[in-house]
Amino acid sequence: MLERESGSRETTGRTRRRQQGTSARRGAQPGRPDGAGPVVGGAAGAEDMASAPPLTALSQRHLLGIRGLAAEEITLILDTARAFAEVSLRAIKKVPTLRGKIVVNFFMEPSTRTRSSFEVAEKRLSADTLNFAPGSSSVSKGESLLDTARNLEAMAPDMIVLRHRASGAPHFLARHCRSSIINAGDGAHEHPTQALLDAYTIRERKGRLRGLRVAIIGDLANSRVLRSNLFLLKTMGADLVACAPPTLIPAELSRLGTQVTCRIDEAVDGADVIMMLRIQRERQAGGAFPSAREYYALFGLTPERVRRAHKDVIIMHPGPMNRGVEIDSAVADGPASVILEQVTNGVAVRMAVLYLLAGGKLGELAP
Amino acid sequence: MESWLLKGGRVVDPASRTDAVMDLLVVDGRIAERRPAQKAGGAPAGARVLDMRGRVVCPGFVDMHVHLRDPGQEHKEDIQSGTRAAAAGGFTSVACMPNSEPWNDGLSVTEYIVAEARRRGVVNVHPIGCVSKGGRGEELAEIGDMVRAGAVAVSDDGRCVATSALMRVALEYSKIFGIPVIDHCEDRSLHAQGVMNEGYASTLLGLRGIPAAAEEIAVERDLALAAMTGGRLHLAHLSTRGSLQKVRRAKAEGLAVTCEVTPHHLLLTEQAVVDSDYDPNTKVNPPLRTEEDRLALLEGLKDGTVDAIATDHAPHHEDEKLREFDDAPFGLIGLETAVPLLMDRLVATGEIDLTRLVTLLSVNPSRILGLGKGTLEVGAVADITVIDPGHESTVDPSTFQSKSRNTPFRGWKLRGWPVATMVGGRLAHELQVTARR
Repeated sequence: MLERESGSRETTGRTRRRQQGTSARRGAQPGRPDGAGPVVGGAAGAEDMASAPPLTALSQRHLLGIRGLAAEEITLILDTARAFAEVSLRAIKKVPTLRGKIVVNFFMEPSTRTRSSFEVAEKRLSADTLNFAPGSSSVSKGESLLDTARNLEAMAPDMIVLRHRASGAPHFLARHCRSSIINAGDGAHEHPTQALLDAYTIRERKGRLRGLRVAIIGDLANSRVLRSNLFLLKTMGADLVACAPPTLIPAELSRLGTQVTCRIDEAVDGADVIMMLRIQRERQAGGAFPSAREYYALFGLTPERVRRAHKDVIIMHPGPMNRGVEIDSAVADGPASVILEQVTNGVAVRMAVLYLLAGGKLGELAP
Repeated sequence: MESWLLKGGRVVDPASRTDAVMDLLVVDGRIAERRPAQKAGGAPAGARVLDMRGRVVCPGFVDMHVHLRDPGQEHKEDIQSGTRAAAAGGFTSVACMPNSEPWNDGLSVTEYIVAEARRRGVVNVHPIGCVSKGGRGEELAEIGDMVRAGAVAVSDDGRCVATSALMRVALEYSKIFGIPVIDHCEDRSLHAQGVMNEGYASTLLGLRGIPAAAEEIAVERDLALAAMTGGRLHLAHLSTRGSLQKVRRAKAEGLAVTCEVTPHHLLLTEQAVVDSDYDPNTKVNPPLRTEEDRLALLEGLKDGTVDAIATDHAPHHEDEKLREFDDAPFGLIGLETAVPLLMDRLVATGEIDLTRLVTLLSVNPSRILGLGKGTLEVGAVADITVIDPGHESTVDPSTFQSKSRNTPFRGWKLRGWPVATMVGGRLAHELQVTARR
């Protein structure tokens, strides 16, 4: 059913035709990520229901999180990303799509991957970009987040890409600012573009999301990557298991629609995808585990543990990795690892998000 | 002093087991006469007549837990604005917590509060002194001095009394004065960096949680120490089902413990943080809990486990709340919304009756603090709260007397508002009373 997404490179034109067929999901009842609604129905049903016209544009101005996105919206973003992936293969890696638009990269927390990925995406779309970081800005003089944002807005940007240590900071700006807000990671809440690029990577490799067994292992309590991935993968019908020491499992996590375990062997057993989360060393000081050494012994992803997974398992990590803590180098650099592909795919996914939030339509991509 | 005839109101005075339509005569700041309502006349010469038909006349409400921010944080509130907010909300007396700047931990600050309240306050202000010097949880504060100057209780306010040993000493020492030790029950190590209830909502929102056990452990500790010392313990703003169970059990065992709950814990849950998309006006300590907890508090209101409703009025300047959820201070204001919230959501819905409401807002808090108020019997000081159960209005913070606006109830349409507040025979607040009809 999904041979069309088997991972081979295709032309934009062909991709577009395929998207007409794949993104028709209005008939499906998407599983609600908060567990409030029914889980996605029969395995084959949703993707085959092509009666409703496919979604070609997003209705919202902001991307604050994955929670609240419907399956068809997620599919639209992933399909659009696929069309943009082609741009990265050209000799001249640039389209005029966002020419004349100003995008502010407002990163209040250190970031390498996400920030440079957004910046590349913006440049490929021909947007004008501004970069703000706390060290070099008036934030270090005690200016409030809202005042800084309002001053940035005075320069009439179209979008603000925000990374912030406080959960809900993008929602706060969305309430008080005029620009489109894109959440590039807020506290321990969400990191929606990471989950989208993860989903894109899985889909490219596996051809689907529905029905896959995905194990997410690591610091579940403090991870925004976890939450966005749970919301997304649940909505798309994947089968989830989350694993961590009980000291790093947030309260009532299973209500987000995942199995929860503190035994890694159980988590990786038969997994199609293993997604590792970074262990922040400062958690050790907080008493969540006694030492990095013991963490590795109990929860580190070793080649032996990977062997319990499905033979075609892919290994993912949002970075930055702690080799020898949550993941063994032999796994991180091994044949099943798609960790660098995730980074590559991040650009196309972020191009898609910027494009769609700016009001772009899937069928109208610039050549 | 002006005399008043409050005519034809429904007088609800649980202390004298009264719930009847009556005329009330106020002379020289006291209740001079109470009699069955007469059709007309009966007003002594010079007395101003207030038409109370259709209104509920109650002994003045006492908010035993407010923060007036004076001295030191007058940008949030001061004694004048805070007491005006109290009067507008139907409260004739407030007890103010000691976390001013400096903390009220000795004679001079207590004396300032009492004097400032006399100069600028429009309702009675009763200071609560510190348990420990500077509220630091180390040495006992000079409680005797503060009581002599007017303190009615001691508390380290938002800081749970730091050690079991200090709590023991406080419960013992306060027996000299017959005043309660009020504790904000919270195990700091479990509270950690939490900003909301620990549970499904905190997991969903990625916010650090404060578990119910943080409160319950401290409740258990305090109950054990109260039993051991025989001191008077009052537990502030209880928020969990477990806390209520512990207090219920302790009361059944005959312990002299009392407790209060707040309107926001009675009416909101952690879902408010989700629904408002991280609005800092839902950030309060103890945090808004679960529906199960909320229902347990309501049960406690009905069965007598809960003695009082207090607002924990905690004003913060708009700029302080206009921040990231993590960085905004804890606290909500409550003086000007408590009565209509309780009337609309608890009395009108039949959860509790007016007699119980008055008991929770007037009789019991007055008794706990030893104010000698909470009744409309002849001879009592004329502290009177008048409610119009039919008056409907929408909560509009721009009309508040308080300097602050940090309420989660903005826009709530409520029926049953305080329309007149009389303090010692002086009309401290009036809304449409004489104008109507």
